[in-house]
Amino acid sequence: MDIRIFYNIHYEMPLGILIAIYFYLTGLSAGSFVISVISTIGGKTEYKPIGRMGAVLAPILLLLAPLTLIIDLEQPPRFWHLFLYLNLQSPITYGSFLLTTYPINGLIYAWFLFKGNARWAKILGLIGIPLALCTHGYTGFILALGKGRILWSTALMPTLFIVSAMVSGMALVILAAAIRYAYRSSQSPLAEQERDRGLILSLGKTMGALIIADLFLVGNDILVLLTSTQEALHVAHLILFGKFQPYFVGMEILLGGFLPMFLVFLPWTGRSLWGVVAASILVMVGVMVMRYVVVVAGQYLPLH
Amino acid sequence: MAKEKASGKQEKKEAVKVRYGMVIDLRRCIGCHSCSVACKAELESPPGVYRSWVKIIEKGTYPHVRKFFLPSLCNNCENPICLTNCPVKATWKREDGIVVVDPHRCIGCKYCMASCPYDVRSINPLKRIVQKCEFCRHRVDAGIEPACVETCLGRARIFGNLLDPKSEIAQLLATTPTQVIKPDLGTFPQVFYIEADLDAMNPMKGWKGNE
Repeated sequence: MDIRIFYNIHYEMPLGILIAIYFYLTGLSAGSFVISVISTIGGKTEYKPIGRMGAVLAPILLLLAPLTLIIDLEQPPRFWHLFLYLNLQSPITYGSFLLTTYPINGLIYAWFLFKGNARWAKILGLIGIPLALCTHGYTGFILALGKGRILWSTALMPTLFIVSAMVSGMALVILAAAIRYAYRSSQSPLAEQERDRGLILSLGKTMGALIIADLFLVGNDILVLLTSTQEALHVAHLILFGKFQPYFVGMEILLGGFLPMFLVFLPWTGRSLWGVVAASILVMVGVMVMRYVVVVAGQYLPLH
Repeated sequence: MAKEKASGKQEKKEAVKVRYGMVIDLRRCIGCHSCSVACKAELESPPGVYRSWVKIIEKGTYPHVRKFFLPSLCNNCENPICLTNCPVKATWKREDGIVVVDPHRCIGCKYCMASCPYDVRSINPLKRIVQKCEFCRHRVDAGIEPACVETCLGRARIFGNLLDPKSEIAQLLATTPTQVIKPDLGTFPQVFYIEADLDAMNPMKGWKGNE
């Protein structure tokens, strides 16, 4: 039947690009922190530089992230209400504590790491891993509890966010390691050069494995959306064939998922440093687009 | 002593037995937007934002056509997700069931707006805080009906205490088939519609944003 909307009120989207950037920054921070701790605890001496790079990157990114949140508030000077009037049911309340404890823990961890105090670095690193995962996982909960938005309210969301955080954090650490390699390769001995190169390539392989996990989760999500309620079908069509197709299918899945996966696993690009670096840049862009698609496409459908 | 205590408790329970709700009888609605105007005038909503409005759709092909109306406002849900998600307790449910927003506590994080399944919350562009329909709580506390109810010229809006069996709204709900918007979400809306059109209640019908 022919149905036309004659008159209706629509508001602009409550959450925008700033929130997407916030999710991106916390994801990068959590990912690089977890990789830092794993490579520190892992014991092998060649992984130590990776540990230090992650330990520096993680707190810096996480000091920027809450700024985007405060700028996004309609009443930025009232941000202290978050600590005074607690609603323990709200995921944002978990966030206000995680976003303060996690960077402090990360800074102390980095301090011990650079001091060479392996024991305390290990202890704080082990405390930091759940903190980092929660700091990013809670952002998934923020979306999952957004009951009205069908793209958000899935139990997969926290897991999907944590896995994509690991992917983007790995890409960031690879890029940092590649920059370090480019600066140091001319001065260091050949054996060390070869070792650093091998390290970056093996990090690329790990990133490829994480990309597969990420694509698997996204695939599950889309398949369930396609067979669920009316709104779910509409939002799946919106991102697969509609306005968000270039962002979701083009940039997130093909350019940010499959292409870097092939780049790191195919023998002729996976063995070259440039292949792994290109894959990392693609992943960094792809994960940012993923945050954008989740936040903006999630609010694109009308609710009344 | 024990008996007295028990009876005292019972009295207390009876004292809070108020649950405000609204029935919108679409057999009587003529789509005149008086409720939207009265709401704006009463609550001084700035241009561009509405706490109550009337959605209108057109259906069919000539000569078999009709307009359908859906007056929309905050459902003041029994189990509101905005209340769960507000990080600073700026929104809460009063004992009589009205979900209110504290303008001095709201930080404008817009999470309630993003999670509301009915999209009835908006940012007041002048005050920079979230606002929504609160069943005109200042009028209800003074013993008069909300502005939209008083102004509705077809008497399509009926407001009252759902728990009082003598009230008009309770009798109407008991004897007339009614529906709520999105009942599957478990929010238990307290705004009920009589003869609401399925396509008017469906946000996806007639939507052309994906083309």
